[in-house]
Amino acid sequence: MTRYVMVIDQRRCIGCRSCTVACRTWNDLPLDIVYNPVLTEGVQGEWPNVRRNWLPTLCMHCEKPACVPCCPTGASRKDDDGTVWIKYDQCMACKACVNACPYGMRQQSHLRPRLHQYIQKCTFCRDKRQMDPSAQPYCVLTCHQKARVFGDLDDPNSEVSKLINGAETFRLMEDLGTGPQIYFIPDLGGTAQ
Amino acid sequence: MRHHYWEWPIATYLFLGGLGGGIFALTAILQFFVFPGITMVSEVLAWPCFLAIVFCGLGCVLLVGELGQPLVFYRAFIKNTSVICWGARVLSVCMIFGFIWFLSYIPWDWFSGIAGFLAIFRDFCLALAGLGGACVVLYTGIFLSSLKAHSFWATPALPVLFTISALSTACACITISIGWWPAELTLNTLIVAEVIHELLHEIDVILVVCELVVLLVMVLSFLGAGNVTANKVAHRWVNGSWAALFWVGMIGLGLVLPEILYVFAGGTLASSVVAPVLVLAGGCLLRFLVVYSDERAPLPGEDLFYEKLPDNKAPFIHKWTYGKNIF
Amino acid sequence: MAEIDIHAPGVEMVKSLCYFCHANCGVLAYVKDGDVIKIEGDPDYSNQGGLCCRGTSALLHLNHPARVNHVLKRVGEKGEGKWEQIPYDQAIQEVADKLNQIKAESGAEAVASAGGTTRTDDWARRRFLNQFGTPNGFHNALLCWIPTFMAETCVSGWSPFETDLGAARCLILWGMNPGASTLPGMHGYTDLQMNGMKIIVVDPRYSETASKADLWLPLRPGSDAALALAMLHVILYEGLGNGEFIGQWCSGFEELMGHMVDYSPEWAAPITWLEPEQIRTAARMYATNTPGCIQWGCTWDQIGRASTTGSHAIALLRAVTGNLDVPGGDGMPGPAINFVTDEEMELNELLPEEQKAKQISRFKLTSWPGYSIISQTARRQWGKTLPTEWFCEAHGPSVFKAILTGDPYQVRALICNATNPVNSYGDAKMTLEALKKVEFLVTVEYWMTPTALFSDYVFPAAGALERPTIVTHYGATDSLMGGSRAIQPKYDRHTDMTFWRKLGLACGQDPANWPWETEEEAYYHIMEPLGLPISNYDEFVSNVRMYYPPLHQKKFEAHGGFWTPSGKVELNSTIMQELGFPGMPTYIGTIENPIDTPELLDEYPMVLTTGGGFMPYHHSEHFQMQAIRYLYPDPYFSIHPDAAEKYHISQGDWCWIETRRGRIKMRADVQQEVDPRVIFCPRGWWFPERDGSADLDNPFGCLESNVNTLTSVDAEHCDPMGGSWANRGLLCKVYRVHDADNEFTAKDAQFSMPGSSNVPGITVMPSDQPLAREPIPFEKPQPTREVPEGFEWCWQNDALYQKGTEFRLDESGWLIDPKDQSYVDAHTGWVYVAAEEVLLDKETGKKYTMERVEIPYLAGVRGYPGMEQAPFEVPEHLRWNVEAGYAMLPDRQLVYDPNSGWMLDPDTGAYHDAYYGYKYDAATNTLLDENTGKRFTMDYQPVVE
Repeated sequence: MTRYVMVIDQRRCIGCRSCTVACRTWNDLPLDIVYNPVLTEGVQGEWPNVRRNWLPTLCMHCEKPACVPCCPTGASRKDDDGTVWIKYDQCMACKACVNACPYGMRQQSHLRPRLHQYIQKCTFCRDKRQMDPSAQPYCVLTCHQKARVFGDLDDPNSEVSKLINGAETFRLMEDLGTGPQIYFIPDLGGTAQ
Repeated sequence: MRHHYWEWPIATYLFLGGLGGGIFALTAILQFFVFPGITMVSEVLAWPCFLAIVFCGLGCVLLVGELGQPLVFYRAFIKNTSVICWGARVLSVCMIFGFIWFLSYIPWDWFSGIAGFLAIFRDFCLALAGLGGACVVLYTGIFLSSLKAHSFWATPALPVLFTISALSTACACITISIGWWPAELTLNTLIVAEVIHELLHEIDVILVVCELVVLLVMVLSFLGAGNVTANKVAHRWVNGSWAALFWVGMIGLGLVLPEILYVFAGGTLASSVVAPVLVLAGGCLLRFLVVYSDERAPLPGEDLFYEKLPDNKAPFIHKWTYGKNIF
Repeated sequence: MAEIDIHAPGVEMVKSLCYFCHANCGVLAYVKDGDVIKIEGDPDYSNQGGLCCRGTSALLHLNHPARVNHVLKRVGEKGEGKWEQIPYDQAIQEVADKLNQIKAESGAEAVASAGGTTRTDDWARRRFLNQFGTPNGFHNALLCWIPTFMAETCVSGWSPFETDLGAARCLILWGMNPGASTLPGMHGYTDLQMNGMKIIVVDPRYSETASKADLWLPLRPGSDAALALAMLHVILYEGLGNGEFIGQWCSGFEELMGHMVDYSPEWAAPITWLEPEQIRTAARMYATNTPGCIQWGCTWDQIGRASTTGSHAIALLRAVTGNLDVPGGDGMPGPAINFVTDEEMELNELLPEEQKAKQISRFKLTSWPGYSIISQTARRQWGKTLPTEWFCEAHGPSVFKAILTGDPYQVRALICNATNPVNSYGDAKMTLEALKKVEFLVTVEYWMTPTALFSDYVFPAAGALERPTIVTHYGATDSLMGGSRAIQPKYDRHTDMTFWRKLGLACGQDPANWPWETEEEAYYHIMEPLGLPISNYDEFVSNVRMYYPPLHQKKFEAHGGFWTPSGKVELNSTIMQELGFPGMPTYIGTIENPIDTPELLDEYPMVLTTGGGFMPYHHSEHFQMQAIRYLYPDPYFSIHPDAAEKYHISQGDWCWIETRRGRIKMRADVQQEVDPRVIFCPRGWWFPERDGSADLDNPFGCLESNVNTLTSVDAEHCDPMGGSWANRGLLCKVYRVHDADNEFTAKDAQFSMPGSSNVPGITVMPSDQPLAREPIPFEKPQPTREVPEGFEWCWQNDALYQKGTEFRLDESGWLIDPKDQSYVDAHTGWVYVAAEEVLLDKETGKKYTMERVEIPYLAGVRGYPGMEQAPFEVPEHLRWNVEAGYAMLPDRQLVYDPNSGWMLDPDTGAYHDAYYGYKYDAATNTLLDENTGKRFTMDYQPVVE
């Protein structure tokens, strides 16, 4: 079986937002849609003993996605390889899934015509991978820092398997039981002043 | 993290849906369990039920209008796992059978043939409409509480609260609209209407108290413990920016004052008209308060991120369109 | 929405380079029917497939609706925004006629040109300016590397700007934030750091890079020079330097010890806000973890008066620790010996000396006076030199002042090539005034910028994907990388070389000086000497892509010294002294600071730092790119929560930031990114979405949120050596925008000269303003021995150099060519070829005997005319032709080649055997008797047909 996951290495991310722009550019997203915001709580601590981390995010492609069962039309769905996606021509933009997602990763553009709305979210670049099964999502390709790694967790030789097995990782809001498939490697080092 | 995806149409829809569903549920209960065999009951409740259909219909219009693609609303009926889907189904059942049931009471001469024919199915239709209505009442609460991402919604107290509120507002609505057309104005109908009126009055007295208790339990429990997000919302309700709305509007005018009028002004216009109207307004306000309390636990830094994004009217967004060169 | 299929028929992949910053990342462009349908990062280039916000937006840039696509000729008043589109060549001719007219009336120097960062070579502009005869070309070079490069070259002979981090144990990122500026570099740093290398970051801001540092020094903005001096003091006085290196390769050590005595960490502490112990720790970490690198950051060039002092001190830090040009240290590439340098493309020899003297700059290090000495030294030591573009330029702000004042003379025309000086040069209000006032303004631009708005002509520029890009670090390095043009320029856009070439030809310049019609032809010319198996530039990109010369380190050992006049690393720089500067870094403070200007503190208590690169913008670019702008719509400055509280500022509030020179509006980002005494403002802001003509005091909001409204370019505020002005360490105040005071008006950015004056308008002429430091008189020693005609004596190393070639006269009487250490005949310039014992004229390819007699060659075989006996063994049946100097068959005119043993036909070059003279047929490996038509095997056996 294939089980696509992404590992995000906070030790490497420097918050340049290239992934965000690459995603919205190559996926031709409306301006107000951001699939993969790079978040940061800003500089924390007491000057000058401070530190800062970035949290690049995207759809968590949950094992038990809250957004799929709540969809009345069946547009929101999950592939066998773990990809959660939306079949746009079945969506009617009721926004149930938008409100169901605990990560806020589903969005509706207000820049589209009022009556032609649908809900959008990251699909691990499903269109691209369908054209070329070995392809990587755009956010991964464009990352100079190689902070985003995409791959098959069921393949023990994949880079994601090695990273997840080799370093401490965490996932976001695990307690909600959604089984998010995005693993973060925290930046535990600090800046010595 | 505020989510601006569901706004006033949804709140109104939840109110109207609960109200309409509640009226049908109460009608069925009254007809089948409280006054079995007394056909006059249905007759005096025909007008409230017609209002219920209008309410549900209006709610549906708002709901469909709120969709990103209203013209394909029928897609909502497809998937069994979805609460919305079941909501759409039970609402349809309630409205369709309720409407057929109502048609059977229309006293116009030219319509008598059809009405007579439909009258055969009255019990069947009312049973389905009542059942559907009851489901709608439950659904409005479950609809929100199933969305675990929103901690203020994701509590079992919410369906209970919405159910009580829906029935309470239904009672209130029935009490001010019972016995009108198409019921014939006879002594019998007046008596039946008055009996039901009194009964519902009593029930509403209890329901309002229940609603008050459940509401306070829900809000105050979030205030005491609860997770950070729900706690923040509860604070907004209790002692934050919405405190006046909550204490004066919701608790005071929407629940306590009508209760007082119900109990201490019995028989006056205050009890029979003002109090029910206040209950209805309070029910509506409750839906608004709850729907607008759609805070989601933010990811670290999420607030900061969205705070810095421009609003959709920012000039640079609309200044240039690809394909339309300036120079 | 649909994914674009790059494998579809008809889609061609072109290896291109990104053009949106200096990192020039590899980009794969997918082209169909003459249009780019998609781009991706090149996984096989140094960026490893990575592309930043800007790079990924290349297609949006290419097709942006606000791009200038046709020549716009002004038809209304200046700034009114009324344009007429006219054909490109017609516009070129009109501009050329006007320029020629100004030249005839006021001299060529009345025409100036401002350049943007073209992120590739820019010799074409200089080629035009030199032929036109004006010395007044400039970029924003003074804020970006050039003063540093020149100071470093004075000290050690070239800028040690290349890193060899694989072997480094310590890296200082000083005033550099690769985490927001050069992402491919940051990737490498992160990899190495995860493998154990220590990173020290010097930055007043807790930058992206500082967030990952092992040691971070949050110094006071603008105090870099003091920190460098104190670190140097610690290394010298704690004996942490590399004594062996200093002893063998450096000069002036004793003087330096004496000079540095007072610059202790205790001295620097109040200036830098660092604890003395922090400074000691950093100095020790750098000095004891050798080899190590100090990566250069633009900050050094942006602290104003102390800029070159700072980079000079840092250059000495490297020197005394022996980190120069060694494995793991800072690499000194030198000019490209193996291919044509940018300097060789510039035709500097066409600019007359008297025109050089008219260059508008009082800052000698970065203009003709300093360049001449540095360049001459480079030619003597390396054999080639720096380009004049960037490294020898007019002082931009002084040119703008000259437009306004006519001092030193009236500049009448300005050609701006891909630059918007209002936002990128200091004192924006003065610059804007100059752009409004200049008689004739031409811009070559992508966009309708505030500068373009006031232009008489706006020429559309071709950008990324529409042009090939070559990376030679502006002619300062010996490696070379290239990217192809993905598509021909769209609409009427032209590349800058085409613009300058067309303009040059229209001005009447010699077509022979503009031999290349396209960049590809020129670039092929540049790399032809490499002898690569290519026949055009695009083949280079497809098959080679990157050229690195062999032997890249410890070149000074092979060279027998460093590339300074004395051959040593000059700890007390003689070139600096010759130019009237201190030979050793001598501290000078920022223009506004508590120590020198305490009276300003009451009014302006906060320290302002600006100018650092920040994602996702670059300089003043990309504000039109909606996908980027959406993520960063407003200008945010950083302020510490304590300071914010003090001034009642909350997150996101619009605030005024005010210096003595004006005030601007930005939004507050309240977080502990900076010291409570500091605010950090991003640079470059303007609002291209506005109607520029609506407010000509503030067109496109170009002053409203532009930090350069706050900076000063007064002569006394500039670095007296390099001429750069301060973007860091200015005093300011900050307060919330109130409803009653929320409109930016002309009063907020009133033009005055001097810039800090309360009185509007010009009250002091530029040349009446003093420099920050008076020149120190220096007398060059007189020759101690007789200098032959045509030679020049170098006082530092007591050597004679031939004028013109700058070849050193060896004791043997030969000249030495520093490029390859070959011997050159002093009389003729012919090179001695030891293998053949001949002299070679490189220009003609002709060879001469040691008696300077031309050697004839027949079919490539050398002849020995007049020699009685053949100087090699000749088969006995051949006849020695004394007159021609060849061995020949008795009956045939075939020449014997002693190297191969074959006979050669002088007419065809065909091989014949030496016994019968049969012609060799390679196809069948047989010999052919041309008389009979018979064939023989190689053993002279007849071939049976």
